[in-house]
Amino acid sequence: MAENLSADFVVIGSGICGALAAYKLAKAGASVIMLEAGPRVTRAQLLANFRNSPRRSDWMSPYPFSPWAPHPVYKPEDNGYLVQAGPYPYPAEYIRAVGGTTWHWAAHTWRYLPNDMRMQSLYGVGVDWPCTYEELDPFYQDAEEIMGVAGSAEEHPESPRSKPFPLEPVAEPWAMRRLRERLQPEYPVVGNTVARNSRSFGGRPACCGSNNCQPICPVDAQYHGGLAVDAAEAAGVRLIANAVVYRLEHDERDRIVAAHYFDPDKQSYRVTGKTFIVAANGIESPKLLLLSTSERFPNGIANSHDMVGRNLMDHPSTSLTFDADEEVWLGRGPQSPSSINTLRDGPFRAEFSAYRLDFTNISRVDSTTQRLLLDGVYGPEFEKRLRYSAAREMNVKTVLEVLPRPENRITLSDRKDALGIPQPQVHYAIDEYTRGGAQDAKKHFTRIAELMGGTNLRFTADDAFANNQHICGTLSMGNDPRTSVCDRYGRTHDHENLFLIGTGVLPTAGTCNSTLAAVAVGFWTVAHILEEQAGSQPAKRAATAG
Amino acid sequence: MDSKDSTSASIGLPLSRRQLLVGLLSAYTASLIPWALAQEVPEEGQAAFMALSALIAGRQTLNPELARRIYQALDRSEPDFAARTQQLLALIEEQKIDPLQLQAVLDEQYPQLAPIPRKLATAWFLGVVEVEGQARAIAYEEALNAVLVADVLMPPSYCYGAYGSWAEPPSLRSTRQPETQPST
Repeated sequence: MAENLSADFVVIGSGICGALAAYKLAKAGASVIMLEAGPRVTRAQLLANFRNSPRRSDWMSPYPFSPWAPHPVYKPEDNGYLVQAGPYPYPAEYIRAVGGTTWHWAAHTWRYLPNDMRMQSLYGVGVDWPCTYEELDPFYQDAEEIMGVAGSAEEHPESPRSKPFPLEPVAEPWAMRRLRERLQPEYPVVGNTVARNSRSFGGRPACCGSNNCQPICPVDAQYHGGLAVDAAEAAGVRLIANAVVYRLEHDERDRIVAAHYFDPDKQSYRVTGKTFIVAANGIESPKLLLLSTSERFPNGIANSHDMVGRNLMDHPSTSLTFDADEEVWLGRGPQSPSSINTLRDGPFRAEFSAYRLDFTNISRVDSTTQRLLLDGVYGPEFEKRLRYSAAREMNVKTVLEVLPRPENRITLSDRKDALGIPQPQVHYAIDEYTRGGAQDAKKHFTRIAELMGGTNLRFTADDAFANNQHICGTLSMGNDPRTSVCDRYGRTHDHENLFLIGTGVLPTAGTCNSTLAAVAVGFWTVAHILEEQAGSQPAKRAATAG
Repeated sequence: MDSKDSTSASIGLPLSRRQLLVGLLSAYTASLIPWALAQEVPEEGQAAFMALSALIAGRQTLNPELARRIYQALDRSEPDFAARTQQLLALIEEQKIDPLQLQAVLDEQYPQLAPIPRKLATAWFLGVVEVEGQARAIAYEEALNAVLVADVLMPPSYCYGAYGSWAEPPSLRSTRQPETQPST
């Protein structure tokens, strides 16, 4: 191979976590190669794909599928990439493309609650984090300032902050205002904290309310991994797309010396570096570690205690759909603007799951159309029913906590993808703790509907949990190598120069979306690496920075 | 968005034998779609398609360009599409089937005709047709489910309006439309 593929840092994965870590490292003067299994995509292409899609409610449909870097696809049928070992299905969705899965997200950027990080000490369930909320506060702030997080500190005392939100809260959609007004004082409905512009910020415009945050914001009013990659490349990071890393190589001192990748034609390349960061998401990262076996590490890299891929968590949801007694017309403004936060913590967490109650503002037009077509409603009645549901239908869902349990895990399946790489397999169950939270929420569902004059109440079935694609826990950080994969700074217990970044390192799930926490913890990791390297090699850093 | 007036338009196909739809319908179907009676149609097969479309859509106007696209797509993908639409229209006229009961009646008694209204409805309301086993989008902004709510909502992915305009009551949108509707 003619080209020298070598850098101070090799980052595997170009999602929001990997790309922002790479950006930070490059800004500090380091050379960085970032490897991404999927192709480059553009906003214009994704937007066109969405509008031309016959399955517009399938948020994966605008995203290109690459045979060399497959991801799970469920419609029109399951492509079988993520093998389900049961007992409960875990149909995770993620995007293998430059920029990763935050191309489509609700841009929720919650901070955890301080108590989410002390579950074992406070409630005797789950685990404690190896770091504190206070330690992470400046890194949360840094992430929020880069991403342009909008929110109201007054509305969110549950996650204390030492500095203000970078942006004012995003304007509240009319439907959410009506919920807030009619549910108070029983339930305080508050605006979500979101990486969505409430004014021009970062060279991007304010939200224009196109109600298409998922699958693709048409104007980049919300932050996403594609923007993180742009920033990383501008800072000097070298991105190699369509580079499917399939093995990490170590030396006799257990240091990682190279990442091996296939291009789409299965030509193999070797990338060397001084420090390696795996940031390829909560399923693909453990998959890569498990694939990287050697005589010394027969169970894979960073896996001497068989913890890689374990403690898989997400946020299952149950929901209630009802028709309000007034016209609120969901579909105007952002898709996911408001929540009730009062059930996210309390002594009950010793017994059952906490949860956030989340109100959707997604237009009901597409879903109602599908239902009416299924019911064979034609003629003038179609218009009448479509307008009725589009105007009055509302939905509230739980965002439930899952506890870290070693038996919920990602392993390698016997099946192989087009490049011959084993596909990931998932073992997942929803336990009584989480189910208890879902049961507890039903009375609140009913009361909320009552306060909105709701009729035609449709609860999801007791055993029907929707998935929220907040894949975490599979690379948990912790102080004990027997129960975690990496230490408090994301350094793997087994390999001095291998770090893990992403939602996988989060040891508990809490009741909020995981991206902001993963970015913040990633920044904490990067700061530690730079500090450590500055301490041990001051002359070298100065030279590289030039 | 729904500015095209189709009341005097043909469905845009080569016209071999222009005639008015009214001449092809019985009193029953004509009574259901009085507004469509002035529609020009080129031939009987397409006339049946237009009449069925009008019955299923239940609208005062139909977009002629979209009608042409739907007809061409279904005619290509459905065996004997023209003949089956004529059979279906004849059946509706003969039995005076209400559009709201149509699908249930066909599913139960005439399964060979049952796919036709479902496909027509999916095409008009959702803008999706199945061609050679593959679902394809042939309309989005002009699909009827977008048109039917256009006084209040924009199709997702089109800007609703200036920042914060969604904070106002939805009833205000129609009066503010010149300011808030972006070019599409």
